[in-house]
Amino acid sequence: MNGKTLLGLAFVTTASLAAGPRGTMPKAAANRYPVHAEKAGVSVGAALLTSDEARKAFVSEVNRCCVVVEVALYPVKDKLQIVSLDDFSVRVTGSETAVKPSSAKVVAASIQKSAESQRDITVSPSVGVGYESGPYGGHGTYREVGVAVGVSEPGSHSGSSDRDRDTMQTELSEKGLPEGTASAAVAGYLYFSLTKKKNATLQLEYVLNGEKIVLTLP
Amino acid sequence: MGARVLLLSALFTCHSMVALDGPCQAQEPTTVPQETPVSSATDSSKQAAAQGAPGPETDKKDEKTHHKIHVQLGLVSFGLGYTHFAGPYYYPYPYFYPYGATYSAVFCDPFWCTYPSVFSPAYSGSLLYAEDKGEVRLTAEPKTAEVYIDGAYAGKADRLKTIWLDSGAYDLSVSAKGRVAFHQRIYVLSRRSLRISAKLEPEKGPDALRQEREAKP
Repeated sequence: MNGKTLLGLAFVTTASLAAGPRGTMPKAAANRYPVHAEKAGVSVGAALLTSDEARKAFVSEVNRCCVVVEVALYPVKDKLQIVSLDDFSVRVTGSETAVKPSSAKVVAASIQKSAESQRDITVSPSVGVGYESGPYGGHGTYREVGVAVGVSEPGSHSGSSDRDRDTMQTELSEKGLPEGTASAAVAGYLYFSLTKKKNATLQLEYVLNGEKIVLTLP
Repeated sequence: MGARVLLLSALFTCHSMVALDGPCQAQEPTTVPQETPVSSATDSSKQAAAQGAPGPETDKKDEKTHHKIHVQLGLVSFGLGYTHFAGPYYYPYPYFYPYGATYSAVFCDPFWCTYPSVFSPAYSGSLLYAEDKGEVRLTAEPKTAEVYIDGAYAGKADRLKTIWLDSGAYDLSVSAKGRVAFHQRIYVLSRRSLRISAKLEPEKGPDALRQEREAKP
């Protein structure tokens, strides 16, 4: 690869990253992540987010549909590394099927669908005291108590509108692992559409230059 | 005035009274109690920690100070009421009555009333409350810091304790003279509350910077 090609590639990558995902700030080294590995000089670190961590890291209720994994890649110095979501997959340990990461668009739509089906129930007690008079029968005071139970219409929950979906898609996309070519460390989130059962362990698989790296997520 | 009319009047009186109070508590957007300890963060993921999810915890301190009217639209309410009337009427009191109603977005919920515009959730101000907006609660130090949303001046921090924004992603900046500016990417979802604490550190003077440079090997 000559210098011009490299320069052009770097320009295209920079342009595409500026408009797309920004990812997260990579930690100083891959070994700062709970699980990490190194192959051919490329280091990869990963962390499975708990429900609580995902709630803190995202405004979007990504827990509703997905398992979130933060991934960081550390390329070899002065060497470009292609980052593609297709190279990642998650497998429940012992299971034969693996799940590829979902796009921000799909995840946002999934959260919206989940929010649409949610309903809020509110209980509103009411108390009234008053005085009335009129030509019919006379006048007097009244006391009134009541209680109303309200069930919101489907679609009135946060995250259920199309605009919210767009916002969620923006957030998930901007915090997602940036795809393209990287010459420095990159990090971001991957969203896998699966529900993690208690005590089940997940394995993150990453295909690096044709070789598979398996990281068991705690 | 007939007894029926009187009863209806009583019903309306009751509803309008509670509509100012009950739904406010029920629909006050909730916040996560802890504040995000952000000083000059630019990492957008940090703001999510402060975004409140609808839940049982409410910010009672703020409720007391703001006294906002929040109503939720589009409810179906069913209930049971009891009225006791002490007066010389021909119909026997007390008695129970059930009631039920479907409310559309035209009405304030859950009671039948159309408030004047000042109470209306459709109150159209770009930074004011509306049903389809999300709330940003901003605490800044110093309080006179200037707030910018997507580069546009929004006001002083002390006047913008609560900002209502349409659902979307925004670049929030808080700056003050002699302080390091605060920047954060925020994501606002409708009917949710986001709490942001921006403490602007004093800018380092030329002497401090020189000392720092000299201290470095």
